[in-house]
Amino acid sequence: MNRFFDKVIGDPMNRVDGKLKVTGAARYSAEYQLPNISYGVIVSSTIAKGRIRSVDAKAALRSPGVIAVISHENAIRVPGWADNEHPTEPPTGGRPLRAFHNNRVYSNGQPIAIVVADTYERARHAAMLVKIEYDTDKHETNFEANKGKAVVPAVVKKNPKSGLADYERGQAEGYKTAAVKLELEYVHPTEVHNPMELQAITAHWEADDKLIVYDKVQGTKPTQQAFANEWKIPVQNVKVISEFVGGAFGNGLHNWPHETAAIIAAKMVKRPVKLMLTREQMFFMVGYRPYTWQKIGIGADKDGKLTGIYHEAIGQTSSYEEFTESTLQQTRMMYTSPNIGTKYRLLPLDVSTPIWMRGPGEATGAFALESAMDEIAFALNIDPVQFRLMNHTDTDPDKNLPWSTKYLKECIQVGAEKIGWSKRSLKPAGVRSGEWLVGYGMGVGTFGAHRGAAAVRAKLLANGTVVFQSAVTDIGPGTGTAMVQIASEHLGVSPDKITFQLGNSDFPQAPNQGGSATVATVGSAVVATCKAMKEKLLGMAPAADKRFAGLKVEDVTFDKGYLSLSRSPSVKVAFTDLLKKQNLSELDVLQDSKPNQEANKYSKYSFSVHFAEVHVHPATGQVRVKKVVTCADAGTIVNKKTAANQMIGGVTGGIGMALQEEAVMDHRFGRYVTKDFGDYHVPVHADVPPIEVYFVNKPDYIVDPMGTKGLGEIAIIGVAPAITNAIFNATGKRIRELPVTPDKLI
Amino acid sequence: MIQFQYTRATEARMALDAISKDQSSMFIAGGTNLVDLMKRGIVTPERIVDISRLPLNKISYEGKVLKIGSLALNSTVAENKLVQHKHPLLAQALNAGASAQIRNMATVGGNILQRTRCHYFYDTSLPCNKREPGTGCGALEGFNRMHAIFGFSDKCIAVHPSDMSVALLALDATVLVEGSKGQRRIPFGDFHRLPGDKPEIDTNLLPGELILGVEVPDNGFAKNSHYLKVRDRASYAFALVSVAAALQIEKKVIKDARIALGGVAHKPWRLAEAERSLIGKPVSEASFQQAALLAMQGAKGFKHNEFKLKLAPNSIVQALKVASRMV
Amino acid sequence: MDKSNLKNQQSGEPRNESRRGFLKQSAVLTGVALTPAVALKAAENQWDEKLAEALEKIPLKLEVNGVSKSLMVEPRVTLLDLLREQLHLTGTKKGCDYGQCGACTVHVNGNRVLSCLTLAVMQDGQKITTIEGLAEGEKLHPMQDAFLKHDGFQCGYCTPGQIMSAIACIREGHADSAEEIREYMSGNICRCGAYPNIVDAIVEVKNGGKKV
Repeated sequence: MNRFFDKVIGDPMNRVDGKLKVTGAARYSAEYQLPNISYGVIVSSTIAKGRIRSVDAKAALRSPGVIAVISHENAIRVPGWADNEHPTEPPTGGRPLRAFHNNRVYSNGQPIAIVVADTYERARHAAMLVKIEYDTDKHETNFEANKGKAVVPAVVKKNPKSGLADYERGQAEGYKTAAVKLELEYVHPTEVHNPMELQAITAHWEADDKLIVYDKVQGTKPTQQAFANEWKIPVQNVKVISEFVGGAFGNGLHNWPHETAAIIAAKMVKRPVKLMLTREQMFFMVGYRPYTWQKIGIGADKDGKLTGIYHEAIGQTSSYEEFTESTLQQTRMMYTSPNIGTKYRLLPLDVSTPIWMRGPGEATGAFALESAMDEIAFALNIDPVQFRLMNHTDTDPDKNLPWSTKYLKECIQVGAEKIGWSKRSLKPAGVRSGEWLVGYGMGVGTFGAHRGAAAVRAKLLANGTVVFQSAVTDIGPGTGTAMVQIASEHLGVSPDKITFQLGNSDFPQAPNQGGSATVATVGSAVVATCKAMKEKLLGMAPAADKRFAGLKVEDVTFDKGYLSLSRSPSVKVAFTDLLKKQNLSELDVLQDSKPNQEANKYSKYSFSVHFAEVHVHPATGQVRVKKVVTCADAGTIVNKKTAANQMIGGVTGGIGMALQEEAVMDHRFGRYVTKDFGDYHVPVHADVPPIEVYFVNKPDYIVDPMGTKGLGEIAIIGVAPAITNAIFNATGKRIRELPVTPDKLI
Repeated sequence: MIQFQYTRATEARMALDAISKDQSSMFIAGGTNLVDLMKRGIVTPERIVDISRLPLNKISYEGKVLKIGSLALNSTVAENKLVQHKHPLLAQALNAGASAQIRNMATVGGNILQRTRCHYFYDTSLPCNKREPGTGCGALEGFNRMHAIFGFSDKCIAVHPSDMSVALLALDATVLVEGSKGQRRIPFGDFHRLPGDKPEIDTNLLPGELILGVEVPDNGFAKNSHYLKVRDRASYAFALVSVAAALQIEKKVIKDARIALGGVAHKPWRLAEAERSLIGKPVSEASFQQAALLAMQGAKGFKHNEFKLKLAPNSIVQALKVASRMV
Repeated sequence: MDKSNLKNQQSGEPRNESRRGFLKQSAVLTGVALTPAVALKAAENQWDEKLAEALEKIPLKLEVNGVSKSLMVEPRVTLLDLLREQLHLTGTKKGCDYGQCGACTVHVNGNRVLSCLTLAVMQDGQKITTIEGLAEGEKLHPMQDAFLKHDGFQCGYCTPGQIMSAIACIREGHADSAEEIREYMSGNICRCGAYPNIVDAIVEVKNGGKKV
């Protein structure tokens, strides 16, 4: 049964699309050459709230090469928006901002107009000539000043059983009676995804009711549906291409106003419109990880058993659309404790809408939870690794279900050994390397092992190659590579004969790439499709060799493009011969796959633990992460090379979260002031040390037939607290407001 | 970016003539700052005079003076053996700035002339007296973590972003310029201005003048100098505070000293009094602490940059310790 | 449809004073390829805008990946936009457009520079190498091979810039240790965070001793 550790799955195969990426041949959304293309540049608001009094486009229109200046004053109406213009019941949680829909300004940086010209330079220049007059209203963007106005999310009001509702196990605030208790507040600033590829779309109306977009999204099918709804055209008349996505980290999980702006423009100028946002616009228009305030009350008895955790969080959202995330989920299930309470609130402000950013709310929540665990362990004078193990839970205390699989203890043990935890001093500032203070810290991460529904098509061609197709996107983890490996394993065809085509809404259904669920979801559909293909091949086999008659798939071995009798391997026939025999040019199979009900009897999570060694300079406050060891229990590892890469990428993101990233807003203007890579720092080469990655690599067949659990999120969840805990260990300074920049340590 | 006229100058005189004819014209050399500023609509020259091919990129040594042409690339200067041997502080400062690619483009003259990186200067929708005189200083009551603690005015609290200039100031460099009235030499400390009432003017370079090069005299600091740059990440970031420290040490006694700071003022900030205090003192943490204390006289922090009042003296002591090889 | 802000593309759009002024100005300039008489005449006779636009362009000769190109470009076009939008060499990436990420790194006469901060016209007569110019047919450059082997990327968007920079890093002699590589590669941001793999790839190429 343990087929997943042999040579194909698990093999550190090079990426199937790697050659395209290293030669510059991979095409991203702004890189399709369409005839008669035009260039769009967005003009954004410079106020945070109010109404547009006028859009003066005269100077822009006089500028050479300008084709159009489109704003709410002249934009065509998006037909799908008219239907629910005045709904009897407003949509729960609001709705996305509509480009050029009316004269309202909801946030600074909101798209107000799009200038279209025949060259990019001309469009960019003309955009600066558009004069916009506003009637300004008083805005509220300051989270700290408005914290008291946080509300229960509308989704919870509508559905009190929502996972975001207040939670109580035992007594919510039971920690208060503990022998040792702490009450701690943590602040996580606004972070911006900032993938390297700027958000881009090339929109083209091939006919009045036929739209094709090359768009930077994480799901071609959800985007196709969204645009079909907006334009009230048949879904098959919308084609979404996202063959390569230059990073996203969540910001492609939502359709944003600039996309519709480009589509409106393309319709009006009757030419393809290419629009690429500027780096500043990436801060205002395409989501971010919301500013979040958290408070943890935590209590334990003197022997180190947790007696209670009460975890509150308030997250920022926009005034027009509610964004929620599972900031508090892990507090409910991570440790054994008789008393647990959580309370989640939202604070709507005059800002744009946030969106899930890698490891989303869980990463924010883990910063507070894993910091608090470290703080109380210190108060108890107990080693934090020991403290985690003492409060480990072997069943899910939240759902009251057994874990599908859980190897967190093993991860912790391996990680502690590999980082050299034994060198750590329990007392802060106890270890030095020259002038530098040395500290060690750890943090645990967890994320639900999700699986959705998807379908995959496979075409076996006469030359023995197989083409698989799925609408799924690959934002960087190496989806195509993993799918080729799974297909190779399950169909018995060598990887070099398999192509996995993706990123096209014409291909079979797949959800957004997100929530660490792609391999489980699409991989399962690949397995199902391979099985269906094998059944078809076996059905065709008796015509070639009667000895295959009456057999089941289990009786036959599929390997290297041949079927053979498992009991008598010399009896074999090539897949290609079966096609020839039937005079078929290809064999086409489409199969869907969805999670089974049996899985609901288990609680399914991936787990990780991160260990960091940091050096802190006592005079200058500079922090250098010297080494990170990261261990993951993510089920079967399909490709050790790409999986390890995802883990080091998550750790790098965690280094940014811990030490660097913060989008600072000047609340007088409600406008970000750190809004490019010069002011908003993300880690560079020099910030990232060697990172050792270890996988448990034990399959979880309850989640999916490959035994995978997903690892994109757990790669970052728990990294930031591992680093800040290490900083505390190095210096004795506990910084509860991220990022920990040098000024906070001197 | 507005459309502009482009002229490529083949000799300095031609460049000067082109500029003097037209007040809205600007020189371009490496372009690493100007192209960025033009894209964002911060500067809008109607005419660009490309001086990148003028023969001003030589590095030579004559009469105990190292002469660096204004068009020498930052990377060329940093890698130059003469520079590394005579003025390692300068090479260190250059390598602490920007990235390898930018150092391959940016020139010495352009580096000296680069504009502040103040968030308010860079956003044309926000007030900034430097970009648009009379609109107010956005940083004064705004986000001023990166801003000045010395020499600011109520019109502007921006800082000069160059690393190289901090080292050149510490090394008593001179800037050689040419204008319609001929050549003149400007001591490095007089080259940049404090903001005062006219923050829109960064330097004492006159309209139409062209930087020909910088000159660095010989000194006794090559053995004991250090450029310390404290920033928010390990590389490729502007300084929170930087220190160019240079000592001449004989028998563990300080004979001469130079200290200049970056990231603290509208111009590279020389600490003459602190330097004097070190002369004749033994190489010791106590001497350095005393110098750092003197250095901070008159410093004042704003809401978000109070930390520099501690980071700066800490960094001065640290840089002096490294320069003197105490650590 | 309200067309008030849509230009009538057939009519050629009314000319304006600044345009004419611009052309007049052009005429008195030196050093650019405008024939003053032609420019003046164009302005005064209000010739077709297309011609006027053409006059805003100046000639540019480049050698791109070994191929000579004779082009006409507006002076404000950056080398990056020229490569991507006019020459359709989209391997060079736009990640920030402000010289803050390194995705647009190309070689000019063998040296790594940021194409986003370079006006194309300033590179007249220079040799430009982009990511598309590294492989010889099907045979990849050793650095491309090493990036593949060490998985020095995820989404692939920063990759061309990383590879161009990595080659230069070795040529410049700044790849003698992992630490030195990290410092001299810090101008190339990888948001996916594949840094350690990139460093491994560079170390391998450096140690392999092949000419880069």
